[in-house]
Amino acid sequence: MFKKSLAIPYALFMLLFVLLPLVLILVFAFIDVNDGTFDLLANFKELAKEKALGKVIGNSLIAGLSTSALCILIGYPIAYYLTKREFNKKGVMIGLFLAPMWVNFLLRMMATKAVFNVIGIKMGMGAVIFGLTYEFLPFMIMPLYNTLLKIDKCYIEGASDLGATPIRAFWKITVPLSMPGIVSGLTMVMIPSITTFAVTEIMSNGKMMLLGDFIYSLKSDSLNMAAAISFVLLIFMGISMFISNKYSSDNSSKGGGLW
Amino acid sequence: MSKLMSKNIENDKEYIIQLQGLTKQYGNKTVVNNINLNIEKGQFVTFLGPSGCGKTTTLRMIAGFEIPTQGKVLFDGMDIAKFPPHKRPVNTVFQKYALFPHLNVFNNIAFGLKLKKIEVGYVKKNGENAVKQIKLKNFLVDPTTGEPDFSIANDNYYSYIDKGYVPLRKVKKKINKTTKKGRVEKEINGYRFYIDKKVRRALKIVGLSDYETRDVDSLSGGQQQRVAIARAIVNEPKVLLLDEPLGALDLKMRQEMQIELKEMHKKLGITFIYVTHDQEEALTMSDTVVVMKDGEILQEGSPIDIYNEPQTAYVADFIGESNILDGVMLEDYKVNIVGAEFKCVDAGFGENTAVDVVIRPEDIEIKSTEKGILTGVIKSSMFRGVHYEMVCECNGYEFTIHSTVEAPIGKEVGLYVAPKNIQIMKKEHVDNTALVTFTSNTSFDLYGGEYQFTPTTLFENAEYDEEQDVLKIAGEEITLKGKEATVRFAFTDIDMTDDEYDAPLAGNVDSMIYKGKNYIVDIKTDDNHHIYADTQYLWDKGDRVGIKVDNFKFIAFKEGE
Repeated sequence: MFKKSLAIPYALFMLLFVLLPLVLILVFAFIDVNDGTFDLLANFKELAKEKALGKVIGNSLIAGLSTSALCILIGYPIAYYLTKREFNKKGVMIGLFLAPMWVNFLLRMMATKAVFNVIGIKMGMGAVIFGLTYEFLPFMIMPLYNTLLKIDKCYIEGASDLGATPIRAFWKITVPLSMPGIVSGLTMVMIPSITTFAVTEIMSNGKMMLLGDFIYSLKSDSLNMAAAISFVLLIFMGISMFISNKYSSDNSSKGGGLW
Repeated sequence: MSKLMSKNIENDKEYIIQLQGLTKQYGNKTVVNNINLNIEKGQFVTFLGPSGCGKTTTLRMIAGFEIPTQGKVLFDGMDIAKFPPHKRPVNTVFQKYALFPHLNVFNNIAFGLKLKKIEVGYVKKNGENAVKQIKLKNFLVDPTTGEPDFSIANDNYYSYIDKGYVPLRKVKKKINKTTKKGRVEKEINGYRFYIDKKVRRALKIVGLSDYETRDVDSLSGGQQQRVAIARAIVNEPKVLLLDEPLGALDLKMRQEMQIELKEMHKKLGITFIYVTHDQEEALTMSDTVVVMKDGEILQEGSPIDIYNEPQTAYVADFIGESNILDGVMLEDYKVNIVGAEFKCVDAGFGENTAVDVVIRPEDIEIKSTEKGILTGVIKSSMFRGVHYEMVCECNGYEFTIHSTVEAPIGKEVGLYVAPKNIQIMKKEHVDNTALVTFTSNTSFDLYGGEYQFTPTTLFENAEYDEEQDVLKIAGEEITLKGKEATVRFAFTDIDMTDDEYDAPLAGNVDSMIYKGKNYIVDIKTDDNHHIYADTQYLWDKGDRVGIKVDNFKFIAFKEGE
């Protein structure tokens, strides 16, 4: 009994800061922004009227997908070489690669913008994607590094023993076994990069909007609309978590888990 | 090729693998030291030794996972020492199986087949003959037999296509497949059919038919082991390497697999190179056992030879149970063991030479006191299933005896050993000899430890003035500091201490041999020097001990000084 009562503070915390906000989002999402009545579709209909939203979603998808793709393309080789002992003595290199996480990202974005201005690179989608990749790359490297580190070297030896060239062994063994890390990295990069704000504003001089910026731009009285968008994002998040969990539980005993 | 082939046939024996001066060093540490070994085609060869003896490293150098620091690995007479693993015609069964967790049983076994490439000849446009690698799926099927024809490999590949030969992937084959809907007839291409057939055959050999679609994680250790073997043999390697493949199995399973592996070896007719630390496994399965220690081969021979005629006390101790004793060869065919004179079949050691004697426990016969060569008292007796294990004390030395007839504890008995059952060996070491550097007139450095000595006891005709630090040998003043000399100290001069800081030098116990009364301990210092000590106490392998030395004998100053 006593042991159970120890859990009360945490239960309260969960209730107040996790469950209640979620319920509120649901409630707000389904309460009509105009007349305050309960209506399942009213807010979504209202959203559909927003002409800007289509473009925002399009931009978000482009930015989110290209950022994720870039993060994998850049992050995978880095994570791969970091797992090699000779390259990452005492974990110094991994520390260096993750160090940007410790610097305030607004500062980094503004500095990047200043550098871009000096070089003369135009602010816009390209710059936004650059900023997002810069911002989220460590979140891709970390899970990949952890997964790759856990892959037993004996699988690669086994493959080469059976006649696989190093490149073939990489594609046939290393990549499939690191899938949990890839999925996990994608979850950590895709949704946050779509919903982030400020990066877009700084890197596009306020000309471009992603979903995060859109929510931010909604006036405080249209909390219901914001809740409706959040609800959609929540569903996206849920789907991606589901996929990632499926992969990680499938492979947990194999190449190494999610984190 | 024929020129190369002639090289690996010596004394009418065809060697498939030859190791020549094979050495592997990691930094300063020599793991494998100048190994020379010829492995005959079709044999079952076992590398046997304790952990860290270099047996696995040797195997990995044959497999290609380690590149030798020096030496050659000849395969059919061709040096493959620097080839990467995927270019070597050998396959390995790993200790941890290394089955790919993301593939099922079928795809694990088919992995190597799908990568298989075959070298074929063809004629270039300019009329030159050339060779190229083609994938298995492009290999040609004889239209008359419907089977892939491997004999055409050296001829012109394209000329056969003109003759109506078809690549494997273009052949259509019908198979019966069991699906959820029951057995259905399905059409697949010849390449898939070929792989399917091979995989099924390999699974049949290891006794796992119908396991194709199973997830490797759902298999037991023994089944995973079988899949690992199937995955290797499906490629039809000329040499199969097995790295302690039964290490992770329990006893019953292990014994079963031993028999099966032996049968597989007979059935497949390929060369097996097997690595184990289990002497029983080695003796049961092998045609040839190679006993290794500290990166070197101690002895190589048939299991019977290794067991009956060990060449060193270490081998005798490592292979089976044995009584290892100090003896003195009185003259040819006569040896004194613990005070009694035995007849033996060995000669050529010289008169009154100290030797090691090995007598297997089952070779000692218990007789009445008058009929025995040696008399003693039975100290203990234990029933061990087939035999009794008895310990008999004779003149202070213990003999272990295996016999089906029990002698009661406390009984005085006579012991007899037939001459042919006494194995005499030259002593590897009689004492410790080392090169030391003097650090002062009263101390020297031995393998990094500073030992004190009294100059007057070390040198003859020496005078030493302690106050003035003046040493005179035969009247001549001498400064020892910086000079090098050879000293000798007996096994019994060494005192082993529990506390390594209690002694000038420390080391780890590497091995020990019981001599009936005392132990001869091999201590390995941190610089990989060996010091042998005689002790009453039982130490454990790996124990950290301090090495005290009571008494040194001066041999000579280093030449050239």
